[in-house]
Amino acid sequence: MNRGLNRFAIFVACATFFLIIAGALVTSNAAGLATPDWPLSNGQFFPKMVGNLFWEHGHRMVATTVGMLTIVLMIYILRKEKRQWVRRLGIFALLAVIAQGLLGGLTVKLMLPLAVSSAHATLAQLFFCTTVSLAVFTSRSWIEARPLPQEKGTLPLRYLCTAALITIFLQLIIGATLRHSATWDEHLPTELVLTHIGGALAVTITLGSTAFAVLRRHPNEQFLTRPATLAVLLLVVQLALGIAAYMTRLKSPKDPQPLNPMISITVAHVACGALVFVSTIVLTLRTYRVLPAPGKVLRRSTMFIAPQP
Amino acid sequence: MNKQTKVWLVLSIALSLLALGSACGGGTSTNNGGPANNSNAGPSLLYSGPTGSISGVVSYNGTPPAPKKIDTTADPVCGQKNPNLMTEDTVVKDGKLANTFIYIKEGTTADGKKFADYTWATPTDEVQLDQNGCHYVPHVLGVQVNQKLKITNSDATQHNIHPTPKLNQEWNQTQANGAPPIEKAFTRAEILIPVKCNQHPWMKSYIGVLKHPFFKVSGADGAYTITGVPAGTYTVVAWREGGATGEEKTMQVTVPANGSAKADFSFGGAATSSTTPSLKMMPAIEFPMLGKH
Repeated sequence: MNRGLNRFAIFVACATFFLIIAGALVTSNAAGLATPDWPLSNGQFFPKMVGNLFWEHGHRMVATTVGMLTIVLMIYILRKEKRQWVRRLGIFALLAVIAQGLLGGLTVKLMLPLAVSSAHATLAQLFFCTTVSLAVFTSRSWIEARPLPQEKGTLPLRYLCTAALITIFLQLIIGATLRHSATWDEHLPTELVLTHIGGALAVTITLGSTAFAVLRRHPNEQFLTRPATLAVLLLVVQLALGIAAYMTRLKSPKDPQPLNPMISITVAHVACGALVFVSTIVLTLRTYRVLPAPGKVLRRSTMFIAPQP
Repeated sequence: MNKQTKVWLVLSIALSLLALGSACGGGTSTNNGGPANNSNAGPSLLYSGPTGSISGVVSYNGTPPAPKKIDTTADPVCGQKNPNLMTEDTVVKDGKLANTFIYIKEGTTADGKKFADYTWATPTDEVQLDQNGCHYVPHVLGVQVNQKLKITNSDATQHNIHPTPKLNQEWNQTQANGAPPIEKAFTRAEILIPVKCNQHPWMKSYIGVLKHPFFKVSGADGAYTITGVPAGTYTVVAWREGGATGEEKTMQVTVPANGSAKADFSFGGAATSSTTPSLKMMPAIEFPMLGKH
């Protein structure tokens, strides 16, 4: 295990989280088209950042920084990491951030078509998931994790976690589509709002039952209980933020411009949604790490063994 | 390099080429009246008979919503030039409503021909839309199809003009302070095209594009007069900004030769002289809205 690599991976993951917040601020301020060109802003590298250009160009600057950090992270991984699949994930992270940048450019050049904007927002979450995963895979707790006995007579945690993860990801896609389907001065489409509410219910059920199963079956395994507890706590906050975001968003079409608290609450909702997603990813990865595949004899899979020098 | 890495590289390159192709294509393409979409094209039937006028006053019944103060702190230039910038969606003075777009929608001329069968020459003079004090002046305006729209920036800050039409081509262009005017035209009739400034999200304007010249915007006193109207019977529409789709009233009027027809409209809570509000004005934002449920 390389402590420096793990710390840097955590730093990149934190920077990615900040980037998601910066992107959410662009959407909530209706600043996505503050400049019609890309990659330059009004033909300049550093335009005067007034009005909505502050949010749009600021987002681009943060994104560029994260892109650079991802390049460094990939090089760091290729130099220090021996596990082939982690090396591949490092390369994938770089490709994902490049694709994300290009999608950002596309959505500006095509004037924010719903499909491209939603894809941009969704890929942001997947990239965040990738950087967090790299931080998990390079951590000491991952390397030193001990296998647990096989679960018997119950629905395997692997399945529960995977179901929760897929449900959250679908919910993120619906949320991204909802956010980009109407600007602050338009009402949100009813169908999408209802779908998002239904998604929230599905996430509550799947994630809640998953966390409950973890706490009940492995109460002393902090490796699993910590992310499970964190995910549930974040989910509670997220549900409250979702209700608050809807209430403020309901009134925003009467406002002359995007205003607080609508901006801050909707951005917090996006950010918290990302945290729910990654905490569930951590839980899922760790479940796969320490619990054997259902029906198989427990053994330390070579995939998860860290042949570190 | 293994197979999976190669696949990702190919996908990445393909996406890059797509983005670059889009960038080179130019998202801010101009729309200066290409003949292909000129609605005046084809056999023309020019009107040469007697004309009259339509005049009236647009009223607002009840208490209008109070204008809201706009927060300009995001751009200090706006606050310095226009410290008391207010919303302009409902401008009422002494019960009279400004910024209402009144136009002939359809009808029959006195000689029995359909109004829509006639064609009208495109004016050579241009219509100006100025950005002054971080708001659009005028707030509502009308142009004919292919008539030049001259957009100017009188502010010491940059603006971003972004019409969002449904029938015409959308464009989005930055205009720096001191930059020369931007000239555009719309090739299809469209009621009404919202115009935004993506740098200053409170800035809004509406442009009505018609094939004919028979439209007006009510002044501060709510009054309007449309002159040179062929004698005949018409459906006259008054549109005002409000809600997600705008609000319209219609009225049938008969314009006598060398005479004047009166068409007063009223909006607001206690309006009685109007017909059914239209939801067809801006079809692209006809989402089922939560506010309507």
